[in-house]
Amino acid sequence: MIALKAVKKIYADDGSSTVALNGVSFEIHKDEFVAIMGPSGSGKSTLLHILSFMDRPTSGSYTFFDKKIEEMSDTELAYVRNQEMGFVFQSFNLLGHASVYDNVEMPLLYSEVKMVDRKKLVENAIAAVGLVDKTKIEASKLSGGQKQRVAIARALVNNPRVIFADEPTGNLDSQSGGQVMKIFEELHTAGHTIVLVTHETYTAGFANRMIHIKDGVVDSDQLIDKHPTHAGFIK
Amino acid sequence: MRLQDTIKTAAKSLLRSKTRTALTMLGIIIGIGSVILLMSIGQSAQDLIIGQVQGAGSNLVFVIPGSNKGSRLAPPAAAQGIIIKTLNKNDLVALKNEASIDLVAPEVRGQARIIYGNNDQAVTFEGTMPDFFPIRNFTIAKGHAFTQSDVDSFNHVIVIGSKLADKLFSRFDPIGKTVRLKNITFTVVGVLDSKGVGPFGIDQDELVLMPVSVAQKQLVGIDYYNSLVIQANANYDIAFAQSRVVSVLRQNHHITNPDKDDFTVQTQADAIDLLGSITSVLKLFLAAIASISLLVGGIGIMNIMLVSVVERTKEIGLRKAVGATDRDVITQFLVEAAILTLFGGIIGIAFGALFTTIIYFAIVNFSTIEWTFALPLSAIALATGVSVLIGLVFGIYPARQAARKSPIEALRYE
Repeated sequence: MIALKAVKKIYADDGSSTVALNGVSFEIHKDEFVAIMGPSGSGKSTLLHILSFMDRPTSGSYTFFDKKIEEMSDTELAYVRNQEMGFVFQSFNLLGHASVYDNVEMPLLYSEVKMVDRKKLVENAIAAVGLVDKTKIEASKLSGGQKQRVAIARALVNNPRVIFADEPTGNLDSQSGGQVMKIFEELHTAGHTIVLVTHETYTAGFANRMIHIKDGVVDSDQLIDKHPTHAGFIK
Repeated sequence: MRLQDTIKTAAKSLLRSKTRTALTMLGIIIGIGSVILLMSIGQSAQDLIIGQVQGAGSNLVFVIPGSNKGSRLAPPAAAQGIIIKTLNKNDLVALKNEASIDLVAPEVRGQARIIYGNNDQAVTFEGTMPDFFPIRNFTIAKGHAFTQSDVDSFNHVIVIGSKLADKLFSRFDPIGKTVRLKNITFTVVGVLDSKGVGPFGIDQDELVLMPVSVAQKQLVGIDYYNSLVIQANANYDIAFAQSRVVSVLRQNHHITNPDKDDFTVQTQADAIDLLGSITSVLKLFLAAIASISLLVGGIGIMNIMLVSVVERTKEIGLRKAVGATDRDVITQFLVEAAILTLFGGIIGIAFGALFTTIIYFAIVNFSTIEWTFALPLSAIALATGVSVLIGLVFGIYPARQAARKSPIEALRYE
C-alpha cells in the first residue's frame, strides 16, 4: 500500500520559496488505477515525482509498501525504483539510436536478473505491447504510438508493483492515445497498480479513482465509473 | 550493474559517434606513441653508448690525470679541460711491472689535418704504443701495426682507420703511401679493420695512430701522457687491479693523503655505470617530454566527456529513473573514458613501435651508427598503465558531473 501523510514540498530558491505541495494525504491500494488530475502548476507532477521516489518531500511521511522514504538512502530509492516501479513519460524518453530491445532491456541492466532470464523477460514485455516485429528496429524510426508502447514495455519488463505514467498520451494523436490507454487498462486487469498523471479528463476516465489536486492540496478524491464512450473510442 | 553490461553499454555509446571517438583517441595515440618512440630511442641510445664502451676492450682500467674529488659523477680535472702533466713514462714502466696488469698503453691525442695529394682531411691522431692495439681490440685489415722499435726510433709511421683510408686513397692501396700531418711526412704502414663509432662519439674508423714518441715530441710538444689505458690480468679481480694501479701511482707521485690524488682510475664497469646513470636520466627526460602530449590528450578526453555528459543529460536522467545509482553512472562514464584511453594506448603503442622500426632501419641503412632495435617492455607496460590511468583521472570529473544530476532535472533537459 502507498500512503502519504501531510506531505509538503517547498522549493527554496534565492531567498524565495514556492510551496508545490501543502499537506497532501491519501492512500493508494494494490490493484488500483488512479488518475491524478489538476490544472497546470497545481503540483501534480511534483506529487508524481515524490510518489515515484525521484524526489523527497520537505516534510510529512511517505510509505511505499512498508518502505518509508525518509529512512532510505538515495541508493535504496534507486533500488526500489528499479525493482518495484515502472515509468512512462509524456515524451517517451527512449534512446533513439538504440533498438527497441535495448530500450526495453535497460531497467534489467540495473537489476539482479540473471543474463539467461533477461532475454525472455524483454521478449515477453515487447510481446505484451504488440511490437514483436519491431524488436531490432531503432527506436527513433518508430511512430509516436509505437514509441510509447516501447516505453510501456520498458516500464513493465521488471514486473513492477506500480507503474507511474506522466501524461502518457500527451504527445499522441487520439487513436494512438487510445491504444496506449487500452494497454494500461490491460495491465491493470493483469494486476498492476497504475498511477497516472494527466490533465485530460478523457484519459483519466480509464482509471477507477480520480484524485484532483489544486494549489498543492487534494481538492477531491473519488472513485469513478469507466467513461461510457471508451469502448467505442478504442475501437 | 554488471561490469560486462557497463562495458557493452560504454562501447555502444562510443561507437555511436565514431568520428568523435577517433578524434578523441588521437590525442592519446599521439601521446602514447611519443612515449614509446622516445623511450625506445633512449634505450637504443643507452645500448649504443654502453656497447661502445664494452666494445673498447675487456678488463680495461683507465687512468685520467686529475682527481674527481671522490664523487663518481664529478668529471676528472682533465675532462674539464684543465691540463695536468703528472702521468709520465715512470708511471707506465711501474704499472707494466704489476702482476695484476697485462698490458699498458699511453695515449697522447691531438687534432690535425692529414694531406695526401689534393686530399685534405681533419683528423684526430693518437700517439700510443703497440700494446694499444690488443688492449682496445683494434685489428689490422692491411699492412701491420707499428712496433716498439718504431716508438723507440721516432719513426714516422701511422696506422689509419678504414674510412679515412677510403677518403684519402679511394681505391688505391694506402700501404706505403706518404702523407703529411702538421708538415711532417708519415708513411702509412697499416689500415685498421672497421670498428665504428667509439666511446664518447669518436669515429674510430677515422683515427690516425702513431708512435707515442712522435706524437709527444714532434706533433704536440709535451713530455707527459693525456691518459693511460690498461688491460688487467684476467686471473685477478678487476677491483684488485684497480687498487694496485692507485697504489703504484700514489707511490710514484709521492701522495700519502688519498684526498690529494692527482689522477682518477676508473674501470670499464665504472664507465658503464656512469654512462648508464647519465643515459637513464636522458631516457627519463625524453619520457617526461612525451608525457606532456599525454597530458594534452587526457585533457582532450575530459573535454569530450564533459560535452558528452551535457549531450546525454536526458539519458542519464532516464537511467537514474529506472534504477541506476550514482555509482552506476560514474562507472559507466569512467569505463567509457578508460576504453577510449586503453584503445588509444594500444593504437599508440602500435604507432610508436612502427616509428621506432622505421627509425631503426633509417639509421642502420643511412648511417654508420651501430643502432640497435629496442622496444622496452617496460615502456609498453608503462604506456598501457598510464593511458588507462589518464582515462580514469580525466574521466572522474565528467563522470561525477553526470552522477550529480537529479533525474527530474535531467529528464526535463532539452
